Amino acid sequence: MNSSMEPKQPLSEYQANLEALVQLPLFAGLPLEPLKLLAYLCKRETYQPGEIIFHEYEVDPNAYYLIEGRAVLITDGNGEVEYTEFGERDFLGGMSLFCHLKRLLSLKAQTRVVCLVLSREKFQKVLERFPEISQRMIQAIFLSILAWEERLLREHVADCDQCRRRIGVSLV
Amino acid sequence: MITKRPLIYWVRTSSMKLQGLLLVVIAFNVVVRVFPLEMQKKIVNEAIGLKKLDLLVWYCAFYLAAVLIASGLKFIINWVQTHLGQQTLARLRKELYAHILTLPLSFFRRTSSGMVVSSLVTEVVAAGELVGQAVAVPVNNILTLLAFAGYMFYLNPLLAAISIGIYPIVIFVVPKLQARSNRANKMRVDVTRDLSSKIGETISGIHEVQGNASYRIENRKYGQFVDRLFEVRIVWNLYKQGIKVLNNLFQNLGPFILFIVGGYLAIHGRFDLGALVAFLSAYEKLYDPWKELMDFYQTYQDATTGYQRLMEYFDVEPEHAIEPLDREPYTLQGDIHAQDLAFSVAGGIQLLKQVNLDLNPGEQLALVGFSGSGKSTLAQCISQLYRYTGGSVQIDGREVADLTKMDLAHSMGIVAQSPYIFDGTIRENLRYSCEALLRDEDAGKHERLPTLDEMIEVIQQVGLFVDVLRFGLNTILPVNREAELVAKIIRMRENFQARFGRELSAYVEFFDEQRYLDFSSVAANLTFGSPNRDEFAPDRLAESSYFLRFLEEAQLEHPLVNLGRELATQFLDIVGDLPPDEVFFQESPITPGELDVYKALISRIKQTRLHELAEDDRRLLLRLALRFVPGVHKLTTLPEILRNLILDGRFLFMDKIQKDHPGALSFYRMTEYIHSQTILDNILFGKTTSDHPSAQERISQSIIHLLIEEDLLERIVEIGMDFRVGTKGDRLSGGQRQKLAIARVFLKGPPILIMDEATSALDNASQKRIQTLLETKWKGRSTLISVVHRLDTIKGYDKVAVMKAGKILEMGSYQELIAKKGVLYELVHGAKAAAQ
Repeated sequence: MNSSMEPKQPLSEYQANLEALVQLPLFAGLPLEPLKLLAYLCKRETYQPGEIIFHEYEVDPNAYYLIEGRAVLITDGNGEVEYTEFGERDFLGGMSLFCHLKRLLSLKAQTRVVCLVLSREKFQKVLERFPEISQRMIQAIFLSILAWEERLLREHVADCDQCRRRIGVSLV
Repeated sequence: MITKRPLIYWVRTSSMKLQGLLLVVIAFNVVVRVFPLEMQKKIVNEAIGLKKLDLLVWYCAFYLAAVLIASGLKFIINWVQTHLGQQTLARLRKELYAHILTLPLSFFRRTSSGMVVSSLVTEVVAAGELVGQAVAVPVNNILTLLAFAGYMFYLNPLLAAISIGIYPIVIFVVPKLQARSNRANKMRVDVTRDLSSKIGETISGIHEVQGNASYRIENRKYGQFVDRLFEVRIVWNLYKQGIKVLNNLFQNLGPFILFIVGGYLAIHGRFDLGALVAFLSAYEKLYDPWKELMDFYQTYQDATTGYQRLMEYFDVEPEHAIEPLDREPYTLQGDIHAQDLAFSVAGGIQLLKQVNLDLNPGEQLALVGFSGSGKSTLAQCISQLYRYTGGSVQIDGREVADLTKMDLAHSMGIVAQSPYIFDGTIRENLRYSCEALLRDEDAGKHERLPTLDEMIEVIQQVGLFVDVLRFGLNTILPVNREAELVAKIIRMRENFQARFGRELSAYVEFFDEQRYLDFSSVAANLTFGSPNRDEFAPDRLAESSYFLRFLEEAQLEHPLVNLGRELATQFLDIVGDLPPDEVFFQESPITPGELDVYKALISRIKQTRLHELAEDDRRLLLRLALRFVPGVHKLTTLPEILRNLILDGRFLFMDKIQKDHPGALSFYRMTEYIHSQTILDNILFGKTTSDHPSAQERISQSIIHLLIEEDLLERIVEIGMDFRVGTKGDRLSGGQRQKLAIARVFLKGPPILIMDEATSALDNASQKRIQTLLETKWKGRSTLISVVHRLDTIKGYDKVAVMKAGKILEMGSYQELIAKKGVLYELVHGAKAAAQ
């Protein structure tokens, strides 16, 4: 069908979610049916600048896909320390979809942040219906851990002896 | 034990009165069934033969009466038989269920719940129904057979002997054919399986087939299987039909013998015509009881093997007695003593080795260690969920293995790792542990259960109060009740607007006559009021002819039907073929119960144009559209044009209805309670626009403030107690489920508490709250064994036991163990620090 022939109507939130999820590496290669269900079940949340999206040490059951804005990992303690920064199209918390995990750091919105939030509970409902997708997703998570450490090894370890002694996360 | 009972037990213990009644009715029935034969003979010989009309009328009347009575008796037999069968089935279901519930946990590890379901739902049916037939069918049919045969001998012994003589041949030949037919059937099954796996293989490798264009090869392979199946099925069918034909042949051979021998005798005057007719009827009737007996034999075989298999499957002894027989359950103090406790599972794997433990009443013990170290297993052995295989555990000097389940339930509360919440209200779930202790005769006596105040106290303690309050606020009050409450809520509404209206306007969409309400349904946007007549109830609007006329007039009918169609299509595209689950329906205007209706509708009207839709279909779609809430149902958007049309429609409708049906609706006014909306929406005079925790929190805070002023807080919580949690508690979050499980155990207040990672799904603040509660309220009151997953909570415990590989490595107070710089120190500070 030629879409330009149809009267223009803004995408519904579900359709927009689906478009976003299809592009996500974690969901790459998944059939459309579970993706539709995930797009339907995830929630669009907005955070104001400075708002904490999740807290360190808390067990957080959600995964986040940043649609808009920037956020940064911090420790709240005495004196805020900033760590990795995340921006549009970054996906966080995929492992929480599979098991209870506490957060090591807090995530703070630097600008207005819009993200898709998928809870483990809802994700598990999808898994019940489409058990075959977990295999692919776990693979994708493992591959991204591997890629992460590979990047770390290549780019940073040379200048830091302490770090060299700690390498090996991708061997878990 | 139920599983040791043979099937005959159920016959013996079925209602003897009914079985007796059955036998009496059967005896009558047999007599009544032979009687018409005698009448036949008399009609032919005496009435027709001698041309006596009055005798004909009399005999025919007797005949008719006998036939009618026989039918009546047959019905009674069936009725009694059904009653017996169903009675047994119900007993079997109840007793087997009661048995299954007591089986050890290890049994359920290897058994799927589906297996238990099918056993209790379908597999017991054959056995139960057999019991109904067990006496009636054989007795009835054997007696009938004997009666007919006897009558035949009475008429003519020679003829009777010859015609019954055929039956042994049937008995000999048919089973042989049957055996062959069975063999052929088995072959058919095998070949069908091969065929299926071939199809499966080809379909999953379809890309390879299409890539190679190997259609010919695959068709050839598949064809071979189909041809084989063709041959096998022919043989199988031939045998099957052969048996039928043979049965028929013998059936028809009888009259042949009768006519040739009987005719010969009749011609020679040694057999009268009436007797011949009666004989013929008797012979034909012989077949029915015979066939019924054969069928019964088959049913009997199937049912007994099915029954045996079923009972063998569940033939496991419960590990502990359920209730003490000759005494009241013990009240234990909570003095726990374990000596060389060991637990090993099949394969000789030792999960616990020589565990020694001593706890005085009121002492608190934290079990720590890596997962797999046996912490949970230890807690489960002490709480009787597993039966330990060596050593001993004593509570107050009594061996745990010898206590009954009831003894422990009275004195122990267990919060499992993933607690289970059953369908029902919050109130029912809170009382679950307490209610379990009531005897059958006390069931339903509320005075023996915790009071509302006690329940409110405990949900406050575990941090569930605000949640239950929110459930209460989200309740729709029944019309015309709670007048006082309603008045207070309206007063709160004014206070809310005055004090928080501006501050919370970002999170609330107030009911505003001039604006389209994104968080209200299309129906509410049109009527902008709550109905006082059923006709205008939101879900019945689509049936109201008045409302439909209005929609036409406002030119809304067509676009709304279209909207409904879009909603249904979109939703079914996402969840159409999945088994319905509560979660999938939260953001959809379709309810789980309607799924099938809309599925059928959408597939039916796929190719139909909007204006061609049938009246009923239009209404179904209209109903969806009227429920559509753009802010919640995110499947589709509401086009700007339609939004404006609806807003215009609102004013048209308000004018119209005030003229035609004044009083049928109460429009949303600041001064009036809106009965179609929840308590919260009434206080807000609007709808919340976000379910984000921080927004919820701010609204809750302001509302609680006002509720306290009006002294309504507990009243609303009480209403919230009636919130239904859904199957498996799936309308609650994981944290809420865990809090509820903790609350129901605290409410029981047992002298022994077992908590197995009971706070793992809770946020930090709630965890801390529960921990403080344990350290203040429960310390000294209940002996606590807590499997702990976070080391920062263990400082307050009297004792800490560190476990590894099924053993307790060290045990003592937190300070002692840290000072010792042993395993706990290592766990807390990391291995590196300990080595330095």
